[in-house]
Amino acid sequence: MRVRRLLSVWTAKLISTACRMAGKQGVTLAGKVALRIDPAILRDLSAQVRKEIFVVCGTNGKTTTNNLLCAALEAEGGKVVCNHTGSNMLPGVAAAFALAARLNGRIDADYACIEIDEASTVRVFPHFKPDYMVLTNLFRDQLDRYGEIDITMELLDRAMKMAPEMKVIVNADDALSWYLASESGNPCVTYGVPEKTADTPSLNEIREGRFCKRCGERLDYEFYHYSQIGKYRCPNCGFSRPEADFKASGIDMGNGISFTVEGHRLRVGYRGFYNVYNVLAAYSAARLAGVRPRSFDRMLADFNPQNGRMEKFVIEGTEIVLNLAKNPAGFNQNISAVLEDGREKDIIIVINDNAQDGLDISWLWDVDFDRLREESVRSITVSGIRCQDMRLRMKYVDIPSELIQDVETAIKARLKDGCGNLYVLVNYTALYSTRGILARLEKADGKGLKKSR
Amino acid sequence: MKLIIGHLYPDLLNLYGDRGNIQCMKKRCEWRGIEAEVREFQLTDQVSFSDLDIVLLGGGSDREQMIVCQKLKEIQKDFRDYVEDYGSVLAVCGGYQLLGHYYDTDDGRMEGLSLVDLYTQQGSPRLISNVVIENESFDGPIVGFENHGGRTYIGENRPFGRVICGYGNNGEDGNEGVLYRNVVGTYLHGPLLPKNPHVCDYLLANALDRKYGTRKLEPLDDRQEWEANRYVAERFAR
Repeated sequence: MRVRRLLSVWTAKLISTACRMAGKQGVTLAGKVALRIDPAILRDLSAQVRKEIFVVCGTNGKTTTNNLLCAALEAEGGKVVCNHTGSNMLPGVAAAFALAARLNGRIDADYACIEIDEASTVRVFPHFKPDYMVLTNLFRDQLDRYGEIDITMELLDRAMKMAPEMKVIVNADDALSWYLASESGNPCVTYGVPEKTADTPSLNEIREGRFCKRCGERLDYEFYHYSQIGKYRCPNCGFSRPEADFKASGIDMGNGISFTVEGHRLRVGYRGFYNVYNVLAAYSAARLAGVRPRSFDRMLADFNPQNGRMEKFVIEGTEIVLNLAKNPAGFNQNISAVLEDGREKDIIIVINDNAQDGLDISWLWDVDFDRLREESVRSITVSGIRCQDMRLRMKYVDIPSELIQDVETAIKARLKDGCGNLYVLVNYTALYSTRGILARLEKADGKGLKKSR
Repeated sequence: MKLIIGHLYPDLLNLYGDRGNIQCMKKRCEWRGIEAEVREFQLTDQVSFSDLDIVLLGGGSDREQMIVCQKLKEIQKDFRDYVEDYGSVLAVCGGYQLLGHYYDTDDGRMEGLSLVDLYTQQGSPRLISNVVIENESFDGPIVGFENHGGRTYIGENRPFGRVICGYGNNGEDGNEGVLYRNVVGTYLHGPLLPKNPHVCDYLLANALDRKYGTRKLEPLDDRQEWEANRYVAERFAR
């Protein structure tokens, strides 16, 4: 059915272009329509990928890991299909392929790097069987959509069994991810941070999976890196963190991040310990695809994904960092990243409760916001649809905040009276609009001081 | 004055921001000059109900709830004496289900504490919604979020409220939660207490009454709490 395929590809491209002109993303719609016209579109296009197909799953770090991997493969001259925008349900995946196809309905690609929402894996895998799955971590996230973390794990388990030859590249330091991968029967490659790094604060964090998934006994931890990520062992059945195939050591978080893996020193201008895992996961996957360490490091030096993950802006002399934080583990890591910057700072927190955010915002109470009671934090502004809940959250740790529901008004207020160092922490649906506002203000400012990273 | 709040098995039952309920009770005591101590109990700990003034039993995943329910049998008698003696309890979601006789799931029956005459049956689909309920004994709407597969039937017991928006106990009879002596059982998280200061103060007043014979609580400046409450009530219960 070549005609169908052509029609499907053309329509997807048309919709995407039209939406972009109207200032919308339109990726999901394009994918939905493409699949409606040709239900086999994803199967046919993905079958044309010459080498490997990678999928990236896990609660946090999917987009950054996937984009890093894509950039690494491109650095070696590979042509890559990638869902850069983070549209990661079935329509978004279909759109990534349809939009990458030529007008003749053929795709010219060596690799595909596709991040997939965990619950969507079972819907995507009937269309293609990936060669590799990167599994970053499992935390509580958007409970109203998935019910519970156990349900997410069941879905991922089913997906792995649908593709029994798929190699799982898994975070060895996460007991939940490692349990899932090691019990799946799929071949596994592991990555991890074997030693406790200095001064990661021991938090009163909510930790998932304190109990052994295999036998139900309470796990012993020698140390935690953050959340439940660390060195674990079950005193009853012996389930424990495996020796990782790719190990990060000598981690330095002084100015950005640097660490050593396979004897090579990698450097990236990101803050936040969690980014060690994102870089390490992408590195492991890239190495399996034959990317050379030096190419990977060179790619890192230029990496600027412009997707609201630690993205920098300069407006009217104020340095602004925009970062996504959509669940307790992510938010706690975000707070650590903000506090690693010892300078004075203003903070804006934007919380929405649209369908893609999860309608349920009770997770705000599982974040350790009391850590923002620091002298260097000059002000906290709460914004977005559920700013009232966020203000209340701060009130109950005795930290005053100013409520400005409209995001643009909030940003302008802090540009005017702030200290010149502004962090904007947003959840999912707030990301796209906030990024748009910041990009527009930066452009209007003109002076546009080149982005320094 | 001092209140001791017991948090049962937070390692297992800590879904949906239950920590916020603890934080809310603690702060609303402290802001009034009432001392508040929080004691967390793990599965291996002995729970000394006679020392406690308020007990929080939170929600967990079905699997975690199963682990807890084995343990609960051992404390059932002490827990029942505490409830019958008008000890304050806030039981949310999974914790609410555990108050009853049983929870029938596809994988079999989970025995409850039988502290309150109610039972739960698994149903499909999960009931997920913002919720607004009303109860004349509470001055103002009660708002929260529900996410549960179980359908709970409370028989002749008093409900926590009548559903204005959302599903409530089972999506059929218009009831949400249960009130029994000084027990509040509910599917509402959000967490429940910060946006419903009247419910928090109800629990605190009951506990003070039992311990010190006074229900008197200094008024607090609750404008932010009520703004957040009103936002949910007006948005979802038009």
